[in-house]
Amino acid sequence: MIGIVILGSFIAIIIVAFASIVEKRLADSIVLSMGVGLGSVVLFFIFQAPDVALTEAVIGAGISSVIFLMALKHLKASR
Amino acid sequence: MSDIFTYLNQKEVIDSIVLIGSMALFFVGLFGLLSQKHIIKIFISISIMEISIFLLFVGSTFVKGYTAPILGDGFEKFVGMNDPIPHAMILTAIVIGMAVFALGMSFAIEYYKLTGITDIDKMREMRR
Amino acid sequence: MNLKRDVAVQTYSGLGLSALLAITILNIMLHNMPQSVKRAGEKLLEINSQDGVANAVTTVVVYFRGFDTLGEIAVLFIASLGIGLVLSSHSEHHHKVESSFILKTASKLLFPIIILFGIYVMVYGHLSPGGGFQGGVIVASAFLLLLISHQDFELSHSVISAFETLAGVSYVIIGLMGLWILDNFLGNFIPHDISQMGMLVSGGIIPLIYIIVGIKVGSEMSMIVQNLLKRSDNE
Repeated sequence: MIGIVILGSFIAIIIVAFASIVEKRLADSIVLSMGVGLGSVVLFFIFQAPDVALTEAVIGAGISSVIFLMALKHLKASR
Repeated sequence: MSDIFTYLNQKEVIDSIVLIGSMALFFVGLFGLLSQKHIIKIFISISIMEISIFLLFVGSTFVKGYTAPILGDGFEKFVGMNDPIPHAMILTAIVIGMAVFALGMSFAIEYYKLTGITDIDKMREMRR
Repeated sequence: MNLKRDVAVQTYSGLGLSALLAITILNIMLHNMPQSVKRAGEKLLEINSQDGVANAVTTVVVYFRGFDTLGEIAVLFIASLGIGLVLSSHSEHHHKVESSFILKTASKLLFPIIILFGIYVMVYGHLSPGGGFQGGVIVASAFLLLLISHQDFELSHSVISAFETLAGVSYVIIGLMGLWILDNFLGNFIPHDISQMGMLVSGGIIPLIYIIVGIKVGSEMSMIVQNLLKRSDNE
């Protein structure tokens, strides 16, 4: 059971990462890169690393996306 | 169908999935790094490459059936547990990586305020 | 001509790097990973129970790699310093965009709960998954919520730098006390008994240092977030 979950998570992460890179709108691209972080949280939990999963959940889904979105706002605001 | 499940549950097959999957994720990030022009897209590509390295580190020491390296209910000794060293290294690397990304984004914001450029092909101050 | 050469250099270096990585990883796959590399922490797990700490990851971060953690915190401090230096060169005048009533009320209700959870994760780091790095980041995310929803809320620079300085200095002082008493830096000089394993007060200096790391990480990440959010939008 664990093998098919790992395989599926890796395929999902790679698809979301590729979509995040080729996406034209930058805000959508940042939200898709949050999806990569979320998928890696699932994988860290399956790999029996709850400490790393907790850190990645807070950083990847919370603070990193806010930093990217704020930078995007600053770049768009003074155009 | 159950043949596929038992095949995927083997120890060597899980190791190969982790190695090939994180290698593919790294190459997706490398493709973005070389093909995209906008500075935020470059940072997103680097963060994807970083996540692939984290997955390789934690996944390569994962042994099926072993538990997390924490003594809980019913565990008396540190046996049959996963390796704590990659967990500790990746734990700090995630936090440090985030702070360094914030530093990079602040440089990008200041550069944009001064010149109005976000395209990396047009950044020509250091060229002659 | 210049652009053409750049494209060629990028393509060839990318292809070369890809080929190198593919060869390396295929090599590892074909010959399998040597068992000694794969279980590098086996010895550490064996001697881990002498410290009376239930979470082995905490012992590795704070005790076996304690000096590296001090260096990593220094890297975090330098990144925070650089962001403050780069982004605070302009005078700040805020744009007044009022948040909605629901957002304000909800963030006021959630803020103490998130802070409490962050402190719990910090203090119980040696017993359960968690610790200073995670707890500090959770505290910073609570301040992030408040900074987004309340436009006039601002963290005081002097209070944050007092917390940060106190945490950094006490980390070094505890390390030097270990050097003085036990002849090695960050030696575990507080008595720690194995029979205490699983209690809140156990493990000697290890939970103390992880709480210090949590305070430092929390204050630095809060400062980074505030510098990025409160940057003046219009010149």
